Amino acid sequence: MPALAARLRAAAPAADVCLIDDGSSDATARVAAELGFDVLRSPLNLGIGGAVQTGYLWARERGHDVAVQMDADGQHDPAQLEALLAPLRRGEASLVIGSRFLSEGGFRSTALRRAGIRYLSWFLRLRCGARVSDPTSGYRAGDRRAIELFARSYPSDYPEPESIAVAVRNGLRVAEVPIRMSERAHGESSITAWRTLYYLVKVSLALILLPVRPSRVARGGQRA
Amino acid sequence: MSPHEFLPREIQVLGTVILVAFLGWLVYLVRTQRVSLRDSLVWILSTLAALALTLFPQLLVGAAHLLNVQIPSNALFGAAVIYLSFNLLSVTVASSMNAAGVRRLAQECALLRAEVEALRRQGAPQGRTPTLELPEVAPPKARS
Repeated sequence: MPALAARLRAAAPAADVCLIDDGSSDATARVAAELGFDVLRSPLNLGIGGAVQTGYLWARERGHDVAVQMDADGQHDPAQLEALLAPLRRGEASLVIGSRFLSEGGFRSTALRRAGIRYLSWFLRLRCGARVSDPTSGYRAGDRRAIELFARSYPSDYPEPESIAVAVRNGLRVAEVPIRMSERAHGESSITAWRTLYYLVKVSLALILLPVRPSRVARGGQRA
Repeated sequence: MSPHEFLPREIQVLGTVILVAFLGWLVYLVRTQRVSLRDSLVWILSTLAALALTLFPQLLVGAAHLLNVQIPSNALFGAAVIYLSFNLLSVTVASSMNAAGVRRLAQECALLRAEVEALRRQGAPQGRTPTLELPEVAPPKARS
């Protein structure tokens, strides 16, 4: 993590950085706090969707105009921040996804997962017209509208593809930029090989059920 | 056919006793505030409906006839499954809403912890709770 922190500071010296500790029992929170990050420690494990939403709530509370979401396991390179932010700066999109498939080389995951991702990409396009080649990418940047939307309603279990659909449904423009990803330096994907099928079924169901959900999710978000 | 041909009086009495006891238990749970009135409503209403069917089996015979169910007791089993499914579903709904509420509370807790730590770093006295300006949180809407 210190290496990531240094690269992050170099790439974005003025950025306000928070790290979300989703109820982990290791020294993550302490190390991150010592490195000078704001640490958002959840008292219990919320799962990735709840954890990511905490970050968007934090960004909204602080009145930020841009929020970048990035994995802390070394997969996402802070040096590519500028590329990610470019479409936001040009006002071309409200949500920018970093895609490993639009770039040459870099880490591209296993064949099985690539097939799954291709299927999700196709399904997402079929379902709501979003053209995203890497819908599971967790390296993304959003503007004020995206922050507001995701602070209000963000899906829970495997939220990446579904959140794109939520964004499109709410009238946000979504763009994609080529990003090189590294293999994660620490830990394992939360999606193991034989859970891939479950993942695909669950995300497909979420995408199918989408039309009846937005108002309900928004209501839940405000209520809760 | 007479109602007692398929629902013998003994069973009718036993069913009534069980349902009335169940209803009494529900009322007791609500009065001692272990079940909220809102959550008990589905149970109370569906138990009253079951009680009505037990006291007036003609209703069941009529319903079975109407739906072309050959044996009224099969209609009774069907009604029991619906009764249970309906109540189970209402529990699932309540549980999902709780999960959403817990998630939001945990997030608020994470944000407040960060804020408290930031205030401490700024030199607020240790060991005393700094006064916080709480962010606005929309009050929970009553469930319909």
